[in-house]
Amino acid sequence: MPKADLIAGVVLMVSGLALLFFIIPAQTEQDTGAAVPPDMLPQICALGITLLAAVLTLNALRGKTPDAKPPKASEWRAMVAVVVIILAGAALFQYIHPIVAGLFVTLATMLYMDERRWHLLLALPAALVVIVYLLFYEFLGTAIL
Amino acid sequence: MMDELVAGFGAALTFYNVAFIFMGVAIGYLVGALPGLGKGTATAVAIPITFYIEPLAAIAFLIGISKGSTAGSAVSAILMNTPGEPSSAPTAMAGYPLARAGKAQKALKMGLYASVIGDFVSTCVLILSAQSLADYALGIGPIELVAILAFSLTFIAALSGKSLVKGLIAGLFGILCSTVGTEIETSTERFTFGSFDLYEGLPLIPVAIGMLAMSEMMVQIGDRRRLEAETDLLRGSGKPEDAYVTWEDWKKSFKAIIRGTGIGIFIGVLPGLGASTGSFLSYGMARRASKDPDSFERDGAIEGVAATESADNAVVPASFVPLFALGIPGSVIAAILIGAFVIQGVTPGPLMFLEQAELMQGIYASMLAASLILLFIGYFGQNMFARIIKLSPSLVLSTVVFLCCLGSYLQGGGMFGLYIMAIFAVIGFFARKYDFGFVTFLIGFVIGDGFELALRQSIGLLKGTPEAMLDHPVAIVFWVLTIVGVLAILRRKKISTESAT
Repeated sequence: MPKADLIAGVVLMVSGLALLFFIIPAQTEQDTGAAVPPDMLPQICALGITLLAAVLTLNALRGKTPDAKPPKASEWRAMVAVVVIILAGAALFQYIHPIVAGLFVTLATMLYMDERRWHLLLALPAALVVIVYLLFYEFLGTAIL
Repeated sequence: MMDELVAGFGAALTFYNVAFIFMGVAIGYLVGALPGLGKGTATAVAIPITFYIEPLAAIAFLIGISKGSTAGSAVSAILMNTPGEPSSAPTAMAGYPLARAGKAQKALKMGLYASVIGDFVSTCVLILSAQSLADYALGIGPIELVAILAFSLTFIAALSGKSLVKGLIAGLFGILCSTVGTEIETSTERFTFGSFDLYEGLPLIPVAIGMLAMSEMMVQIGDRRRLEAETDLLRGSGKPEDAYVTWEDWKKSFKAIIRGTGIGIFIGVLPGLGASTGSFLSYGMARRASKDPDSFERDGAIEGVAATESADNAVVPASFVPLFALGIPGSVIAAILIGAFVIQGVTPGPLMFLEQAELMQGIYASMLAASLILLFIGYFGQNMFARIIKLSPSLVLSTVVFLCCLGSYLQGGGMFGLYIMAIFAVIGFFARKYDFGFVTFLIGFVIGDGFELALRQSIGLLKGTPEAMLDHPVAIVFWVLTIVGVLAILRRKKISTESAT
């Protein structure tokens, strides 16, 4: 049985039902007096997603679809690491300085990828920040911060 | 037509524009040559820069990137047996054995010539056909438009991934995401969750960067050991003995290039089929036409490289036909370009030829110029690019992560754009790994607004009387095509699944 498709189908079906019965009624207005209410297209999409997710689940249960390859452990770790790097960069941007954030994002990604050559760890983040400054502030003549 | 094009050349061939086309092609060629980085990533990351430059230069820059990266992907395919993009996989099959036999330069040069020919001819077809199609499209009303959009999205969903069901889910999710924000007709909020930032909807560029580029970086960083191993392989593979394409090679490859260009144009015009379909089809036909087809993978074949690259590169300009003529993005590049057009205040579609005639001719002229610049950069820069792709993946990927963050910040209203990019990167990561067709999502997201508007107008026009549809034969034809197409695709997939098991 294609397990990945089964899990994806069930998760999407539950999400579709949550959209139909909770999220769309709470987040859109129904009685606006318009000929076509604002929730019509979201309802059509949510209904379609729910029905198709049910088909996906059934196909997976019957073993009719080739299974997808779920992420490997290293890919899971990379996904989490990249999100953490972005969020930490955002925090540095807001509370310290944009240049520090830019240096951090590049440096942290390089370190995560096992780059240990110190001259590259110093040169690349600095070079990127300088290039961005020259491109926008000098060449294109516009402020971006 | 010719007068307008000549005027377009006048507008396009300024030093300023040519410099941006040159930069676009060079950056694209380099990014395309780097394993794992495709034209979608390159174009999405570059869009924010275009906000600050003139419209024609901006569009030409992005088109240069997409053309350059399509051609550049042959470099790593031939030298490292690692296609820069899936569509160059057949180039690796026929070209890598040639490189191992010491004919890397020959294969690279033939790949470049075939790319330029395919791209140039396809651009000419675009120029000759898009406006005629657009003239016809101006007579299309909302009822027809709903049918055409439904047909395009279903077609893309069916053909861009392994599963039609998953593709349709992705497309519907894309349309659902496009409904976030203030609804136009009633000015009521939808899915804003009280956030002021969401009143104008989800910003396209951070969504595109997250789904395309950042999710790809997550996969590549997670798979970095394989990438590093492939980069190491390159160091021992360059043995250029045959450094040029002989007359004999041209004779072998001429038919393959013509056939490949034709296939690429045909595949490109149809929404959703994509460059991979074109290149594999062209490679398969070249193989079938050969007296010794097994030699393609065993010893390498110059005509195999020519067939693949001509088709691969012909797809890109041809995929702009539905974009320019109908406003429908038929490929991921076309979907991203819509973002660039919107940034420049231009709405893609048939009205562009009336309202922005000068810009359109300038774009055409820039596309032709980009083909020639591609030849120049490829010919003189191939060896340099081959050296650059030896760079450690940690340098390349961390640079792309930095550029993704910068682009999302610039085009997504500051930190909000960064958060949206991170959210859609995670969604894109799972869409990739579970084969949910992130391309279909993006196209659904891009056409969502237009689809909703046309749907509302159609409901108003039909006034609850389905028989009024009979007055719209074009719409009926597209609905029938949608149903027949889906049934045919399902049947074909069933047969291929049964034969596989």
